[in-house]
Amino acid sequence: MIEFRNVSKTYETGTEAVNNANFVIEKGEFAFLVGPSGSGKSTLIKMILKEENPTSGNIIINGKDTTFLKPKRVPYLRRSMGVVFQDFRLLPDKTVYDNVAFAMYIVRATPKHIRRQVPMVLSLVGLSGKAKMYPNELSGGEQQRVALARALVNNPSMLIADEPTGNLDPDTAWDIMTLLNDINMRGTTVVIATHAKDIVDQMKKRVIQIEKGVIVRDDKKGGYNSEV
Amino acid sequence: MIKKVGITVRYSVLGYLLGEGFRNVFKNKKSTGASLIIMCATMLIFGLFFVIGENVNYIMEEVEAQQGMQVFLNKDATEEQIQQAGEQIRAIDYVATAQYVSKEDALNSLKERFGENGDLLNGYYEKNPLKPSYVVTLTDLEQSDNVYAQIKQLDNVSNIEVRDKTIDALIGVANGIRIVSGVILILLIVISIFIIANTIKLTVHARRKEISIMKYVGATNGFIRWPFIVEGIIIGVISAMISIVLLGVSYNFAIDKLLDSSVATMVSFNLLTFSDMFALVLTVYLILGIGIGVIGSAISMRKYLEV
Repeated sequence: MIEFRNVSKTYETGTEAVNNANFVIEKGEFAFLVGPSGSGKSTLIKMILKEENPTSGNIIINGKDTTFLKPKRVPYLRRSMGVVFQDFRLLPDKTVYDNVAFAMYIVRATPKHIRRQVPMVLSLVGLSGKAKMYPNELSGGEQQRVALARALVNNPSMLIADEPTGNLDPDTAWDIMTLLNDINMRGTTVVIATHAKDIVDQMKKRVIQIEKGVIVRDDKKGGYNSEV
Repeated sequence: MIKKVGITVRYSVLGYLLGEGFRNVFKNKKSTGASLIIMCATMLIFGLFFVIGENVNYIMEEVEAQQGMQVFLNKDATEEQIQQAGEQIRAIDYVATAQYVSKEDALNSLKERFGENGDLLNGYYEKNPLKPSYVVTLTDLEQSDNVYAQIKQLDNVSNIEVRDKTIDALIGVANGIRIVSGVILILLIVISIFIIANTIKLTVHARRKEISIMKYVGATNGFIRWPFIVEGIIIGVISAMISIVLLGVSYNFAIDKLLDSSVATMVSFNLLTFSDMFALVLTVYLILGIGIGVIGSAISMRKYLEV
């Protein structure tokens, strides 16, 4: 599903963000990407999304090497993955419903399909009653649910989340993680970059730990820190 | 059922792209206004040179139709030689017509010019001192020198009179106007593209969040770009409309003033009316407006589509 082969990334400024990363995340897996700020987590995520290109090495997504993917094909690659960010990135002048529907009509879904799909995904994230509200009328947790609904509405095969609980209080963070777990149970591959230590420790999922650009640990059922 | 149709329209892709474009135009009223003013100024200045140029072309066409040169043949040329010279002249490029004027014709018209005293010339019919000639008209006055040189080399040609020296001056004026308006047009187009690109850049900047979200959910660059191109086209078309009205009003005003003044009596040329040029000016303005709008928005989008 997602495979990194000897991937290194050095930014033009000379910063070495990732150094020889190797890992495979299989279809249907749930993986945490952990490490302190500046360790290279975000760069890994950006390379999966093809927002950044690796300096060397290959990235294979859904069996296709995206390293030399033409810029024109990038939008189609991104349609196979849903993305969620720390800052939600909702459109303030659109309702919850329209924020989610927006993701469908920019990929030119039919109106009929949109009308069926949006309420379904809103109920999946538990926001059926709030379709007509605006983002500023919602709590942080609810806004992140809208973002999740938007990421899932086009039925991507994987969900990429960059610090999805970074702006949320611990209880709400747990709700979101539980929701992400449910989504994973339905068959979607989930990759989460985070430094929410408690959550990672308790969920006992796969953990890929990166320090100063180097992958130092890859545990199938790990905690945030390796127990030596 | 009615409600369902409403929702369908709301999410039709074309409707979305056009709707967003219009929304952009009215969201940034100030910079849209600035673009409109600059675009209109560009179009008006260009339009001024354009209508003057059109009039000069029109006058030149009229002049071209009547002006040319008169080719005089040797006095003792035989009928055969005269006919041969005529055929040779007609075979030259850019010669429109060559009309034969015999010695007798020349004398007759001379007599007419003398009016009452014309009878004085009667004695000359026995031994006509005039030369037979061809009145030659050209399809392109700029080729006058070229045609002159070719006719000069023909047998039995005695001398050539170019009928009107003002032609050269007129050609000079026409070329001058073409060059000046060309340079001004290019300059103004560059300025307009720059200004309109800046206007659209403001909308793009205001909506960069939306653009980045669109990119993450997999919108193609074409899809992201369209609303902004629509914005550019709308500004271009509105400018074209305003400009053509302003140009038409001021052109008619200027023509009226000109015809009322004493200049009109000195100028024997006809001038074009604005309605003669309307379709042409409208076409040129629309091409200009839409072109500048599209190029301007394409430039403003370049940076934001790189991600």
